Amino acid sequence: MPDNTVTGRRISTSVLVIGTGGSGLRAAIELSERGVDVLAVGKRPKNDAHTSLAAGGINAALATMDAEDSWQQHAADTIQESYFLANPHTAEIVTKNAGRGIQDLERWGMPFAREADGRISQRYFGAHKYRRTAFAGDYTGLEIQRTLVARAAQLEVPILDSVYITRILVRDNVVFGAYGFDLRDGSRVTIIADAVIIAAGGHNRIWRRTSSRRDENTGDSFKLAVDAGGRLRDAELVQFHPSGILEPENAAGTLISEAARGEGGVLRNVLGERFMANYDPERMELSTRDRVALAAYTEIKEGRGTAKGGVLLDISHLPRETIMTRLPRVYQTMLELQVLDVTTTAIEIAPTAHYSMGGVWVRPDDHSTDVVGMYAIGEASSGLHGANRLGGNSLIELLVFGRIVGQAAAEYSAGITSQNRSQEAIDAAEREVTDTLASDGEENVRALQRDIRNTMTDFGGVVRDEAGLLEGLRELDELDDRQKRIGVHPDVAGFSGLAHAFDLRASLMAARATLACALERRESRGAHNRSDYPDMDPALQVNLVWSADGSIAHEQIPPVPAEIAALMENVSQAGKLLE
Amino acid sequence: MSSATIDQKPVVPEEIKSFTVTLIIRRFNPEVDDEPHWQDFDVQMYPTDRVLDALHKIKWEQDGSLTFRRSCAHGVCGSDAMRINGRNRLACKTLMKDLDITKPIYVEAIKGLPLEKDLIVDMEPFFDSFKAVQPFLMNSVTPEKGKERIQTVAQRARFDDTTKCILCAACTSSCPVFWTDGQYFGPAAIVNAHRFIFDSRDENAAVRLDILNDKEGVWRCRTTFNCTEACPRGIQVTQAIAEVKQAIMRGKA
Repeated sequence: MPDNTVTGRRISTSVLVIGTGGSGLRAAIELSERGVDVLAVGKRPKNDAHTSLAAGGINAALATMDAEDSWQQHAADTIQESYFLANPHTAEIVTKNAGRGIQDLERWGMPFAREADGRISQRYFGAHKYRRTAFAGDYTGLEIQRTLVARAAQLEVPILDSVYITRILVRDNVVFGAYGFDLRDGSRVTIIADAVIIAAGGHNRIWRRTSSRRDENTGDSFKLAVDAGGRLRDAELVQFHPSGILEPENAAGTLISEAARGEGGVLRNVLGERFMANYDPERMELSTRDRVALAAYTEIKEGRGTAKGGVLLDISHLPRETIMTRLPRVYQTMLELQVLDVTTTAIEIAPTAHYSMGGVWVRPDDHSTDVVGMYAIGEASSGLHGANRLGGNSLIELLVFGRIVGQAAAEYSAGITSQNRSQEAIDAAEREVTDTLASDGEENVRALQRDIRNTMTDFGGVVRDEAGLLEGLRELDELDDRQKRIGVHPDVAGFSGLAHAFDLRASLMAARATLACALERRESRGAHNRSDYPDMDPALQVNLVWSADGSIAHEQIPPVPAEIAALMENVSQAGKLLE
Repeated sequence: MSSATIDQKPVVPEEIKSFTVTLIIRRFNPEVDDEPHWQDFDVQMYPTDRVLDALHKIKWEQDGSLTFRRSCAHGVCGSDAMRINGRNRLACKTLMKDLDITKPIYVEAIKGLPLEKDLIVDMEPFFDSFKAVQPFLMNSVTPEKGKERIQTVAQRARFDDTTKCILCAACTSSCPVFWTDGQYFGPAAIVNAHRFIFDSRDENAAVRLDILNDKEGVWRCRTTFNCTEACPRGIQVTQAIAEVKQAIMRGKA
């Protein structure tokens, strides 16, 4: 058994990057190319970040497929899809720099799919006006991750694997490093750094059905930022994917591609009714992501779902040939996971938490936060997606802001003349880990994590209302109380139990911010549906900013620049109003 | 609430039954054992469970000291390659229903790399060979401002198969040459060299071919095809090695 003596390492670097997914690696590459000392820390092996699960594609208005396309149009599509909650300045920066992001990847060997004449191939994806989504088969995210890993390896970027960061170290609102422990042997790690970049994902793992993997996206980014003095923006805005599978338990939330509906799949409730007729009779199953998710949710909630709490997605009437050639991954996935033949049997699905559109509050220009020297990028950050994310925008955001934040952190590090550290802050971080490790209460961490997910599913899901949100907050109070009585028992196999305890606290904070902001947003907009406020409220076309003391500020969104606004008028509004 | 109805009743999936399966795992703890030994465990599994689920069940419910690598559990990260019933596979992609569960399932670490503990081997020699082939794009030409490098569909397709490698080491550790000659680069390193040698944008094919023309390079390959059979991603490994051999003989990709 591990004894209680604290052993550890003390490391110094110029810029520390927390997270080794797409955004973290991109930032680390930028720093390394500029000759800045950088260290990337991850709680997983570096080849295995969440970015690798992204399938669809990556957007940039290269205008090589459709000459009329422009970054302004891409920005217009992004803002419109966000229900006007995207920060226009953020959207402008991402879309203007998207071409550069693609070129960076291409320069490092990304195997993009090509057109006959050799151009990078681009296709339609979601509500884009033009073809601007580049891809590499079904594995765009995986190939991006591998391209970035290869480039980081070439530059010999130091990566510290299997380390869990518990605190960002701050003195007088200025960052000076981070504290954590080694997941394998529990030894402590103190990292002294000029700047810290948080790139550790969002919080969609706090719902029962999620496309996130176990122990990822637990809200740890949010907790680190808030404990350090940061705030959260739009935590209530979470994208739900309409079709995640329910079983087996360990693969629950695995997504069934929306192409299944595109090819003619139909949705039925347990009574055999094609329920989309009641929600969008014109487009039926081809309706938009948020609308289909809402419809499925309503059927299940009103008792017309299956015993396991799903609805049925049926493609068995399609010709076998169509399924085999157009939907091979759906066929294969279901055969592998459930031994289910989709050519004869319907698939049980339910709405599944998929993407945190909100996140740590950052400035649009350089993704700096409320804390000097602290930055956030990727799903951990906020500002681009608003109330509904445009498909393919999350991957390009990583590339664009990874580079910009790398540059900003490099300049900040080069510009400071001295750094004040605080032994007290380090001691407090050390004590927190030691105390947590010594917890010997009767509450089980895994059980509490499950309870949070149940609470969020019951009251913070696709449709919310005041009574439910208040009940959810009350349950969180209870869980918070029980959290104080946990037991943590590391074994010879490692300290993952300790990490789960920290994940649990992070999830509690993320859950609280989500429910509190959902309560405050007394309207329905995009992915946020309030049954007691079914309409959009123009007065709430603001971002909600949550602070550690529980207060919520309404942040005004700057006006959309004229050149972008003009292009939004050109896009047909008719289809959009339905969403 | 009115609803559109249709004649057809939906087919609701049936309940699936569980069964008991025996795993015989090759254990090794360097702190107490002189030699590895086999230990058996009975676990209750469903046909759709994978070998990784069985290992988790054992670890969580029976013996917390059982040690293995795992991460994504989706066949993407490549961390749980092991020898299952004598064949190299990913534990997270091997379904119970695809194994003969009337007999025990034998699970052991992959061969040819130093055994560290239970199912974990030291991967350093493997990654050293991988790094030696310079697995990144090398190109000194800057494309026209604002443009990407052009690559035809055929040129892109030329190296498609070898982009799929996840560095799990299933191929390299299934190779009898690698077992007896630890200096051999091994199939995975050659596959990753192939990935760049045949990428039309790369300019350093000659350097990589030179590296692989070494006596511990491609010529050690005896075309046993073990690697192709072992690859969980279905890469035609032996063919890729053959293509690299031909390129060396021709002096170009």
